[in-house]
Amino acid sequence: MYRRELITGPNFSGRSRALRTLLREPDFALRSFFVGPYAEAALSGLSSTLSDEIAIYRDEDATASRPVFWPVDFAALADRKPQTLSGGEQILLALHCFSQSKYRAIAIDTALEQLDGKNRALALDYLGGSREPEFNVALIDNRIDALPSWSRREQRAEGSAYAGDLSALTGELVPHRAGAIVIHNLHFGYRRGRTIFQGANATLEPGVAHRLQGPNGAGKTTLLKILVGVLSPASGRILLNGVRYEPARSGNRAIALAAQNPDHQWCGATLREDISRRRSALAGRAAAPLPSDERIVSLSRALGFPSLDLHLYELPLAARKRLSWLWPFSGALPWIMLDEPTIGQDRETRLKLADAIRRLCSLGYGIIVVTHDDDFAAEISHRTLAIEAMQIRTS
Amino acid sequence: MPQAKITPNGAVAFALMLIGATMATGKHGLSIVAVLGIAFATLEVRAGTVTALKRSLVLVLPLAAFMLLVWVVIVGRAPADIAAGSVGSRDTALLYVALICTRLFLVVFLIQLIVACFANSTPLRFIGALRVPMTVKRLLMFTLSLVETFRHAIDRAYTALIACGLISRRRSVRNFVNGWVLVQTVWLTAITIVLGRLRDKWPIEDTLGLLDHALRPTARSLSCRDLVWLPIAVVATIAAVAAR
Repeated sequence: MYRRELITGPNFSGRSRALRTLLREPDFALRSFFVGPYAEAALSGLSSTLSDEIAIYRDEDATASRPVFWPVDFAALADRKPQTLSGGEQILLALHCFSQSKYRAIAIDTALEQLDGKNRALALDYLGGSREPEFNVALIDNRIDALPSWSRREQRAEGSAYAGDLSALTGELVPHRAGAIVIHNLHFGYRRGRTIFQGANATLEPGVAHRLQGPNGAGKTTLLKILVGVLSPASGRILLNGVRYEPARSGNRAIALAAQNPDHQWCGATLREDISRRRSALAGRAAAPLPSDERIVSLSRALGFPSLDLHLYELPLAARKRLSWLWPFSGALPWIMLDEPTIGQDRETRLKLADAIRRLCSLGYGIIVVTHDDDFAAEISHRTLAIEAMQIRTS
Repeated sequence: MPQAKITPNGAVAFALMLIGATMATGKHGLSIVAVLGIAFATLEVRAGTVTALKRSLVLVLPLAAFMLLVWVVIVGRAPADIAAGSVGSRDTALLYVALICTRLFLVVFLIQLIVACFANSTPLRFIGALRVPMTVKRLLMFTLSLVETFRHAIDRAYTALIACGLISRRRSVRNFVNGWVLVQTVWLTAITIVLGRLRDKWPIEDTLGLLDHALRPTARSLSCRDLVWLPIAVVATIAAVAAR
């Protein structure tokens, strides 16, 4: 009889610690496969290609006795570097590796929250949704309170070191009319990789939230990277407020991005250093006045962080994710892009985040949210931008 | 049945012998190494030779230009002339630079030839096939892992700084001024990635323990091609050293 354990509870209630305690129980498994929330904790870090990553974990005996989880054609991606996959694809690769390994247990810490609806359903089914798996499973997932025939371990919050007041996030913001973003005939493809956009068009209006949707690996994060200037389109034009906008050439001065992995956005070791560099980057070029020190301190407190001098990388991941919203919600830039903002966040935080987004929309900011969380998206009145067949379809 | 293609063991032994000869010989010996290198490229590497050649030139030409500037244009004498206290000439300086750069070019070219020879393989398969102690294989895998970690960290840091507007993709003074922030962010990111692995993934899984299984050799140590190239390399090495 194999065990299926769901660990629930609010943020900072010790769920990850409980997961590790469970993994040390002798009857759970001697060794477990671990899928952490982000790539460095999901993939081995020892391989240069996908085929090597799979080969490190593959055990011929296990492959014969266990069904292989194969949601993506990994054979076609064999030469790709694992870190060039999208966040969701990396999680799927980790599950694929586990399914071919000798491990008799798997522990997943909020990683499934990055998967699109179809892949999430496939993953949960593989882990024992509809049939008895031949391995133990321990799962933390903020979007699941209970699963049939799974045991549940509930962690209770006993006063958090990161208690804030998220409802105060947008309290001091003033109305700000952002310009519309028009994407015209956008073409983009990765060198020696897939074509992501082929003549894509879209118009993004301020004052309304846009939900960017698409399966894992469709190009959602790629679009955000093009809009902030990290990637340069092969051809096509982007207009901001009717004027040509080329962030790859002139630098980003319009869009505040909260990345899917918060560690992809820090430009300093502490929050103070990070904010100071963001300010200096915009000095003399910002469309609106930059947020004052008082505003930054008050935002930091609202997010649960009393000091700007905390070392960012020493904070728990859920806390870093929350802090990644600080700059976008400071009102420094007219457009706000949130890439999977709900990953690792409990229900209460998600609801308050939805509140903040609604308020930002009402103030005239432009909002783009990438999320696979339908419940969260339902909390916000939004337009859908779906990436399908290398086009952006608006509905 | 021996394998048809050269194996990683044969290729590495072949390259090491020729690199040793390159370092130990003079201008006559270098021509022996060069001829054998070209023969190997033509018969074993074929289409990949052009890439190997291009990469070698890209790596060596800047150094050659720098050395020409320093020794031929500015100093005007070879180091041996300076040591002997003789007047020397730009010709001896040119000969000195040519010898050093040819040596370096041959070393880089031989390494690139081996890389091109196994372009269709993966690092895990290549290292796994080597007949060296497991500790050496693990060290090679760690080294590659660190290289990949740094490349990933550079990409992440670059993304972070462009997204916040501190730098842009276009070359600019602004990018130059903020270059030190990029370097700091890369280091911080690399350390975070490594700590993330050391704290969670590796101890829970004993991921490193999997390497012993993944790196075990699955094919023969040497093929018939190796048995052709290795004796030739031995003879060439002896001839090159003798021609010094």
